[in-house]
Amino acid sequence: MMNDGKHIASAFDRDLESVQAKILKMGGLVEASIKDSSSALDNRDEELAEKVRKGDAAIDALDEQINDEVANLIALRAPTAVDLRTVLAIMRMTSNLERIGDLSKNMAKRSNVLGQLTQIEGATGSVRRMARAVEAMLKDALDAFIQRDEDLARDVIERDREVDEMYNTLFREFLTFMLEDPRNITACMHLHFIAKNVERMGDHVTSIAEQVLFYVTGDYPEGDRPKADVTATDRSFSPESELD
Amino acid sequence: MYDAPKSLETTLDQKTIKITARDVQVYYGENHAIKDVSVDIQANTVTAFIGPSGCGKSTFLRCINRMNDTIDICRVEGSIQLDGEDIYDKRVDPVQLRAKVGMVFQKPNPFPKSIYDNIAYGPRIHGLATSKADLDDIVEKSLRRGAIWNEVKDRLHAPGTGLSGGQQQRLCIARAIATEPEVLLMDEPCSALDPIATAQVEELIDELRQQYSVVIVTHSMQQAARVSQKTAFFHLGNLVEFGDTAQIFTNPEDSRTESYITGRIG
Repeated sequence: MMNDGKHIASAFDRDLESVQAKILKMGGLVEASIKDSSSALDNRDEELAEKVRKGDAAIDALDEQINDEVANLIALRAPTAVDLRTVLAIMRMTSNLERIGDLSKNMAKRSNVLGQLTQIEGATGSVRRMARAVEAMLKDALDAFIQRDEDLARDVIERDREVDEMYNTLFREFLTFMLEDPRNITACMHLHFIAKNVERMGDHVTSIAEQVLFYVTGDYPEGDRPKADVTATDRSFSPESELD
Repeated sequence: MYDAPKSLETTLDQKTIKITARDVQVYYGENHAIKDVSVDIQANTVTAFIGPSGCGKSTFLRCINRMNDTIDICRVEGSIQLDGEDIYDKRVDPVQLRAKVGMVFQKPNPFPKSIYDNIAYGPRIHGLATSKADLDDIVEKSLRRGAIWNEVKDRLHAPGTGLSGGQQQRLCIARAIATEPEVLLMDEPCSALDPIATAQVEELIDELRQQYSVVIVTHSMQQAARVSQKTAFFHLGNLVEFGDTAQIFTNPEDSRTESYITGRIG
């Protein structure tokens, strides 16, 4: 599918194609999971949230199958060059996808709790926009893998900055809501975990895009990842210090 | 992750260059078997030559100790230098050269003599031993370095041909290093051996690297990957790609190298 020439051992091609098909299927499931969990949150749709929670088992099962197949490929085929890079990239991508699935499932769980709490004006819509950005990044990262598109992979890595910035904004908003009225605290705590989860998803997608670059070029991107999440270091994110 | 070499003549790190080949051409009659090969072989390094059958890797290996001299229709052009000296210079005695550049072949070929005499033969004709005790020393040292001493020390006067295939090959390696060569050429040294004997020979190759430059021709990709630090890929008489083994096996530059090592129809 992805490589130009066929192997002399056709079973090798079949094995590689099988594992490539599985990672793409898994990617599709994870994209749907992000879409559904953020939609369930925004629409207070408990049924959809339940679907996401149950659906995570299929993602985990694919992760397990991919890991088994990758181990067999390494043991039996001793892949080299582009084959080795394919196998290594897939091995790491599956971990990232599995983690994104867990984070999405966590969002679905919290969305049910949030349904019982005070609504925070505009918050779930903002989270949903952030999730859409991550979902689009994931789609592009997987397309970059299929098409061996180095530029698209780099673009995905760059776009994680936007997700970080959305997270910064939400962080500030939640703080403001909590300072205004302590009755907002529980909801805001849950919402903050959700926003942080989506921000983490963006990091996992960035890692997937880095694997694509490794697969295509044999190199990882140079230098640090673009980082725009400053909530851990910027003192303006600790307004209570100004109250002293 | 790996720095890809920018040209075939890779810029070499601090390691000393043992053999320098420039624009080497080999003809068997009309057949142009080696085309324009230039390569630097480092000291204390295992260099693997890989490539499909008939690609010229063995021919090129045989140029390094002038084994091709024995083939009438074979003509070698260009220059091959060992420590800066042209080995094809008229003043160079091929017998002396071969003492410096030892060779191990595909099929173990011990002399039909005792284990002791197999090792002692080279040092005797090159006058490397002054006494019987001296020679005994050389024999023991070579067999030890050949990682076969413990298996043969009690039967040094038994025929070498009575050993197992793997033992015979290690005996041949011990014989090759008995004359204190500087370079060891190995042409498919493990293809007739079982996996255990192969592992023993590979372990030995890695130890020999401390003292010698080793050049190995192998059809086993995995063997090249396991034992060598540098890999050269030959195809149709051309040196297609030469670089760090890790780079060749993770991210080769040339699509022909890629096809070959990944087992694709090129």
